[in-house]
Amino acid sequence: MIEFFDSLAQIEITETLNLLGLLIGGIIMTIGVIVARTVRIFFKKYYAPKLSKDSANNLGKLIYFGIIIIAFLIFVSTTGVDFSGMLVAGGIFGVVIGFATQSVVSNLISGIFLMIEKPVRQGDSVEIPAENISGTLIDISTFSVRVRQFDGTIIRIPNEKFFTSNIRSLTSSPVRRSQGVVGIAYKEDIDGAILVLQKAIAQLMPFVLVEPAPEFRINELGDSSVNIEILVWHPREDWGEVQPKLLKIAKNALDEAGIEIPFPQRVIWQGKD
Amino acid sequence: MCEIPCFDMSSNQEQNFLNYGIYTITDDVEFNFPGTEIKFKKLSENAFLYQKNDLTEKIVEKNVPSASGSIQIEICPIRPLNYPAKRTDYVYLDFTTPVFLPSGSSVVLNALCQIEVGIFVIHDSTKDSLDWFDCNLSDSRFALYGPPDSGVLCKYSKSPIVSSDIDSDPYENASIQITIKNELSDGRSVRRIVFPATAFSLYYKDNKAKFDNASAILKKKLALELIDVSPEKIQTDWQKSTTYEVTSTVKHSQMGVD
Repeated sequence: MIEFFDSLAQIEITETLNLLGLLIGGIIMTIGVIVARTVRIFFKKYYAPKLSKDSANNLGKLIYFGIIIIAFLIFVSTTGVDFSGMLVAGGIFGVVIGFATQSVVSNLISGIFLMIEKPVRQGDSVEIPAENISGTLIDISTFSVRVRQFDGTIIRIPNEKFFTSNIRSLTSSPVRRSQGVVGIAYKEDIDGAILVLQKAIAQLMPFVLVEPAPEFRINELGDSSVNIEILVWHPREDWGEVQPKLLKIAKNALDEAGIEIPFPQRVIWQGKD
Repeated sequence: MCEIPCFDMSSNQEQNFLNYGIYTITDDVEFNFPGTEIKFKKLSENAFLYQKNDLTEKIVEKNVPSASGSIQIEICPIRPLNYPAKRTDYVYLDFTTPVFLPSGSSVVLNALCQIEVGIFVIHDSTKDSLDWFDCNLSDSRFALYGPPDSGVLCKYSKSPIVSSDIDSDPYENASIQITIKNELSDGRSVRRIVFPATAFSLYYKDNKAKFDNASAILKKKLALELIDVSPEKIQTDWQKSTTYEVTSTVKHSQMGVD
């Protein structure tokens, strides 16, 4: 066995690196990867649940790659390879690669800033108006952000584009407001109609907040109708229980109370000689 | 001798529900609460069917296995945090009449706070939540305390002030004794109290329920005037309600003075 290792040590790859050194390096790297994975598994099991999702994810990556880099540095120090020559070549190579991978580096840097600034967090509902994207943020990774849109599809957005876009967070505050406009005929009593709407919302929309109370504003004296704007607040998670149902409930309530929602009307006067 | 009130429901029975407690069910049983109907149907020696029918017209059904041909359930008041959905631990008590306190004065009052009713299945001395319901669906709503961007979402409860802790309405609300003390330099009106309900235990006797006491102190902290609300455990012969929520150990919660 010793003879075998001696024979490996005789085979030189470079001046300072032989096959035995490379084998030891491989073993160190393998152990490093195994340790990194084991630590990451323990971290995910015991510590990650106590942290926020994105902090746990980022810290998990930092621990994993940190251990692998340490293993690589140990490997390099055991081989005794002189990297000073490589630094010069690496510098020139780096400039070339830098130009070629400008967008990749930009995404990487944007990703780091996104992780530091945390404008949104994993699991938040977000909207990027300029890109016409809305959905739930799945994760912020090294080069891109993944968003699960409300239609179930997943869209990948490069970090740079996400970082420089206007982001609308739909879940950063505990409540949201929904609204709708309903028109009543000019002959109807406005206060009576508002009372009908108030009662219907109180009875049929349990997610609408008592305080701030629903608001009813005369939005417009339109061509055919007096338009009432309804503004209601609800818990941020329950937009789907309020906004899509608001106008249906308003219309049904007005119909039941016999309050007319008019069609567009034109009064035509025929002139006489 | 059972410390908690125990009842045997051995034959086909339909009744208006009377008292909280533990029920041993061996046959078909029906309980009628205000606005809610609960049924247990014996499917076989080894299973019961649980049915709930309330004003939302959604019928909830669950199969409950039984090893002995009977099941034991506990029906008891629970914190009002589940309907229409579990979104918060906080309760917003909105006094029907504000309480005015001159500077340096204090008052002890009994207010009513909404509750829900929980049904727990008892097996091997453990109690698991089978279902819950709210006998006052139309008043079970949310409110926001504070501004929309940083406020606290709460379950809202219109809170009349009553004369004693037995003045609660069965199945709909529980009394809570609140001591309010004004340590500020001028008189103030208090029209609401916000507190984490999970820090307060519920107790029941017959069909009445009450919470732990609360202490609310109006005081000045640096430049801020605030109300410091904290729970005070009570010693009572009433039965402590079963709970499935994680009980928090919040010592104080603070809210602004109006």
